[in-house]
Amino acid sequence: MKEREVSIGHRLGLHARAAAGLVQLATKFQSNVALFRYDTGNPLEADARSILSILLLSAGFGSKVSVRADGVDEDQAIESICHYLAG
Amino acid sequence: MIGSERIIHGIVASAGAAIGKAVRAFDPLFIPFNSKIRPDQARKEVERFRASVEKSREQLKRVQAELKRKSGPESSFLIDAHLLVLQDRLFVDRIIEKIETSHINAEWAIQQVSDDLFQAYDRLNDDYLRERRGDLEDIVRRLLHNLQAKPLPSFRKLPYDAILIGKAVPPSTLFELRSQRIVGLATETGGPLSHTAIMARSLGIPAVMGVAGLADISSGVFLIVDGDRGVIICMPSGQTVDEYRSRAREDKKLRRKSSGSKVTPCITEDHVRISLGANINFSEEVTAAIASGCESIGLYRTEFDFFSEGKELDEESLTAGYSQVLKSAKGAPVTFRTIDVGSDQKNWDGVNMNFAVRGLRFCLENTDVFKKQLRSLYRASVNGPTRILLPFVSTIDDLDAAREIIAEVRNDLEVRRQPYDPMVPVGVMIETPAAAQTCDLMVSRVDFFCLGTNDLIQYYMAIDRSDQSVAHLYNPFHPAILRCLHQIYALLQPTGKPITVCGEMAADPPSAAVLLGLGFTSLSVSLVAYPRIQRMVCSVSFEQLRELAGQILQMQKPKDVEEMVRRTVYRS
Repeated sequence: MKEREVSIGHRLGLHARAAAGLVQLATKFQSNVALFRYDTGNPLEADARSILSILLLSAGFGSKVSVRADGVDEDQAIESICHYLAG
Repeated sequence: MIGSERIIHGIVASAGAAIGKAVRAFDPLFIPFNSKIRPDQARKEVERFRASVEKSREQLKRVQAELKRKSGPESSFLIDAHLLVLQDRLFVDRIIEKIETSHINAEWAIQQVSDDLFQAYDRLNDDYLRERRGDLEDIVRRLLHNLQAKPLPSFRKLPYDAILIGKAVPPSTLFELRSQRIVGLATETGGPLSHTAIMARSLGIPAVMGVAGLADISSGVFLIVDGDRGVIICMPSGQTVDEYRSRAREDKKLRRKSSGSKVTPCITEDHVRISLGANINFSEEVTAAIASGCESIGLYRTEFDFFSEGKELDEESLTAGYSQVLKSAKGAPVTFRTIDVGSDQKNWDGVNMNFAVRGLRFCLENTDVFKKQLRSLYRASVNGPTRILLPFVSTIDDLDAAREIIAEVRNDLEVRRQPYDPMVPVGVMIETPAAAQTCDLMVSRVDFFCLGTNDLIQYYMAIDRSDQSVAHLYNPFHPAILRCLHQIYALLQPTGKPITVCGEMAADPPSAAVLLGLGFTSLSVSLVAYPRIQRMVCSVSFEQLRELAGQILQMQKPKDVEEMVRRTVYRS
């Protein structure tokens, strides 16, 4: 299991287009990928393959998000998803 | 209440009277029906839900393919979001779980899960994301609709002399029922300018709309729909039925008379030739129109046939259909209005959810559909005089974009070495205030004009066609409308381009007389209205109507205008 923090580089945050892109990217990997926000009082968790949960994360531009991947290709998954989120 | 006659008032929507038995139409104003299911039904219910998801996915894929072809992948990402919701476990899996564990039907499960999600969205602080609940609403609506969209109940089993009653009947239903056994129509909502009413008139089905209390009438009840008085009569007495029967016989006689006196040219008392065409919605109406002596098809609303099968026709079958129309017209010119998908007309697979994406706007957003129709029209044009009419034009830019597409289509045909008539006139429909104000600017770009008074009046008066509370404001005798028409005539007359008025205003003798008075000498009306307008034209003096127009243009109130016009036309 790997976890890495990244700040959202998309100017509109994880809005519909960025969220859709993230889901499409996450489904390419076998590993389970989850996103966390720890800066929100109650930590929020989202499944990277669920667009509704990602949108509910409400991660705006510059907000810090932790990406956690677990599975055979977790390294590549973390790498490319963080790269994607950083914009 | 058995045995006692009851009269319920509504609004006149389509003339004539019909006697028959009530048949309840399914309610298109969809209220999802929530119900518990037995545990052993859960699997089947889940399957039903999955089928709805699959159907929604296919629809969205088609929309997306269309968008991609049109403007590249950039614009299709929103559909991506919708498609992703359909495979989102947070959504789909939870709904299935609800069905299986709470033993409720799919509709209910969808609502429960989406309500939770809506609440979560509403709690967000982010305005942008809160708005995304709209995407979810859209998906939910689509799913619920597809769950419900079972094939229409079979209307073949309808009794003869069926009178369709319901809260509302969408025009799509009415045209799916055409040539069946429907003799009348009564609805709780809607009004004379709804597309359902227009359809009923062109099918010659008497209709009354805005009738309260229809819900009390059950299927099978004996009914009279009086589309002339705007009433329906429940369980009419024997005497009432006799009265209506004898009236129906007289109507028939009058109709036979008018169809016997075939090619009566429309000439006013003072020998002014008025061109009178027929408006049709379906290709098969052409034969009847020509047989009853119509001199042209002034408006063929092509979208009904285009979408009638529920799926798009290909270029070959469209070309064959349009060729047949022109052949049936036997040399009479046919004006084909390109697809106009209005707000209350059949959704093209839900693509046209946006009310304002109409007419040419729709075509310019769906260029593949538009090009296919234009190619078919041009290919068919070798079979008879063809005119192409572009609906709902409001800017020169749209017009230029359409002209460019037409040029492309013609070029395609030349490359393909397919014959077509290069002289096909292309015209625009003036039906928005913007077009009315700027029609003179369009002159160099088009060959003819048509006036769509229904929309023009609606948009001028800022009213909704189907909203009864403002229905009284829809008035062709309003000074604003008279001035607008007067201005259009003044702008276009010097250019020499033909102008035809083809809205409802042309179909009612008094308002049609006003049009003549304002100078318009070409009208096009539904087949039902044709004989009465013909009669009116032959009984008036054009010169006198011109004078009348000068007077009413000075008047202040619609009521006074109408009174004066009626006095002149009917000379009572």
